[in-house]
Amino acid sequence: MTQVTYQILRNDGKGGVPHFQNFVVEIGETEAILTGLIKIRNEQDPTLAVRYSCRQEICGSCAMRVNGKSRLVCSRLVGTETKTHNNTIRIEPMANQPVLRDLVVDQTPFWDRYRHIRPHLILDPANPLPQGKESRMTPEQVDQFRETPRCIACASCYSACPAVGSDPDFLGPMALAKLYRFTVDPRDAAYHERLEGIQNQKLWLCLRCNLCVEACPKDVRPAERIVDLKRLANQEIGKRERGSKHSIGFLNNIEQGGLLNETKLARDSLGLFGMLGQVGKGFQMMRHGKSLKKHPPIQGLSEVQAIYADLNKPEDIKGRERPVGKGVKGE
Amino acid sequence: MTVKVAYYPGCVAQESGRELDMATRAVAAALGIELVDFPTFSCCGSGFIDEANMTLNIALNARNLALAERAGLNTVMTICSTCQGMLTHARHTMKHDAVVKARVDQTLGKIGFQYQGTAVPKHLLQIISEDLGGAEMLRPLVRRPLTGTKVAAFYGCHILRPHDVMKFDDPEEPHTFEDIIKVLGAEPVYYRGRVQCCGFPIQFVKPETAQRIAGNQIREAKQGGADAMATPCPLCHISLDTYQKEAGKAVGEDLNMPVLHFPQLIGIALGLDPKTLGLPRHMVDPQLLLNKVSVSVPA
Ligand code: SF4
Ligand code: SF4
Ligand code: FES
Repeated sequence: MTQVTYQILRNDGKGGVPHFQNFVVEIGETEAILTGLIKIRNEQDPTLAVRYSCRQEICGSCAMRVNGKSRLVCSRLVGTETKTHNNTIRIEPMANQPVLRDLVVDQTPFWDRYRHIRPHLILDPANPLPQGKESRMTPEQVDQFRETPRCIACASCYSACPAVGSDPDFLGPMALAKLYRFTVDPRDAAYHERLEGIQNQKLWLCLRCNLCVEACPKDVRPAERIVDLKRLANQEIGKRERGSKHSIGFLNNIEQGGLLNETKLARDSLGLFGMLGQVGKGFQMMRHGKSLKKHPPIQGLSEVQAIYADLNKPEDIKGRERPVGKGVKGE
Repeated sequence: MTVKVAYYPGCVAQESGRELDMATRAVAAALGIELVDFPTFSCCGSGFIDEANMTLNIALNARNLALAERAGLNTVMTICSTCQGMLTHARHTMKHDAVVKARVDQTLGKIGFQYQGTAVPKHLLQIISEDLGGAEMLRPLVRRPLTGTKVAAFYGCHILRPHDVMKFDDPEEPHTFEDIIKVLGAEPVYYRGRVQCCGFPIQFVKPETAQRIAGNQIREAKQGGADAMATPCPLCHISLDTYQKEAGKAVGEDLNMPVLHFPQLIGIALGLDPKTLGLPRHMVDPQLLLNKVSVSVPA
């Protein structure tokens, strides 16, 4: 047992100024951080609001920020934090959601985004699932989305996501990871519709920062599922949205010289009209010696072009196998 | 101790961010890092090619690594968090994904390459931290300590995350950059944004949001008392310096925050010539920081 200081962000939820309050707790290093919070509530301050249920990383209700990182407090151990933080554990409610009281947030925006992606199978009426029989998938088909069913909807990723925090249009890591699961489910008939439904800001505002990957207790790796979705969208919808124009433009850009031609990329991504807005920027940059002098093509460009000739094909876009057909035969 | 590395400057350091290349060459010489140039290296794809074609992205970077291997070099030194991320991602995939590896091997075979996996991509920050003895190796080289200044490190996502691929420092609470800032004589600023995104990846999707993200990070560093920010990623540098005016507008504040490239910060403390370090090539004049250590940037 050691003495640990819990520094908790208190918030009365009635417009009072949030402030940190310190509690000293006797607790073992191998105990869960949540155990200390419950102790505080039982022994020191019964008004402390904390949400939890299963205490074994299943229900997903105990996510909060621990020393700034989104974590489930029922599984994060006291010792992992105290060692590097001077015996202090700073606890704040999750970010990107309004606080109801103390460590409890209103998850409505998180669940709204989840509902938005229609997290259920959408069947083709002309091709219903077989009645009274199992609708089986092959192990390879299940493998396409093996990570996402592990999600416990704890919103740790949502709290950690800087894109969610900066733009209300973005759907966020969990909803997109879940959506991906349905796009590659062979029983689902809304493949195109689903990809159309997340175009532009909803999908393409992901920053690829991978903060969600670190925050997720279940290794769902939402950032990687989002890149998977972008590849599917590029293929299915093509160069229509800015995000697609930019990634496909980048791909083609490198084929031409081996290194990035910044000016040409801006033109491809923004179009001629968008480029006009960038002209002033170009002058500003030149004034500061940042000339956009183009570098010559790399040596061995033919090797790079041979790679393109060989691999710039639909079957190579995605590493994993593409979703196979629509509808699965019953057995 | 000297180390010999394949030098991978990346696109930006060869185009709009040439000052980064200049500073790297000067600092590498002072640190005993021998740089071998490869005019054959191609772009890392910056994560965008990965969004367009996964296998092609791995193949381009596997070729880059194979070029270094062929020259007998075991380290590919990057100076960009994003290049570091992409090259490491490719090496990781070639090691763990047999299907993709087979496809890439076949393609590389046609152009005379045999990928071995012996060359390891390492950012300069990583080489100093892990191979040259850590931040302390710089102490005897410091000629002009940055005493009295506060510097805010801005890591850039891809050098840190995902951690199980990058295997460097702590992905959410890193310290290697701050360790170096301390040895150079400055005081590090710890702020939330130091491990966050600069907004660059969506600069072309929704500039207002990208700039607001950058503006928030700069503002936070400023509130922490920073005289300057410094970054090991030239893409972050574009967001934080080149587009700082726009970032300031997006958050409604005149930011005026000098942003240095990682090797420039070291170079200043080592007493290297400001012009050689490319210091006059920034949008926000670094003179604000340099005044405090009595250095002047030539016009
Ligand atoms: S990678 Fe994308 S979804 Fe994940 S935290 Fe970053 S911006 Fe959000
Ligand atoms: S993806 Fe991971 S972090 Fe996000 S809600 Fe699901 S389990 Fe939680
Ligand atoms: S209490 Fe259920 S996941 Fe933590």
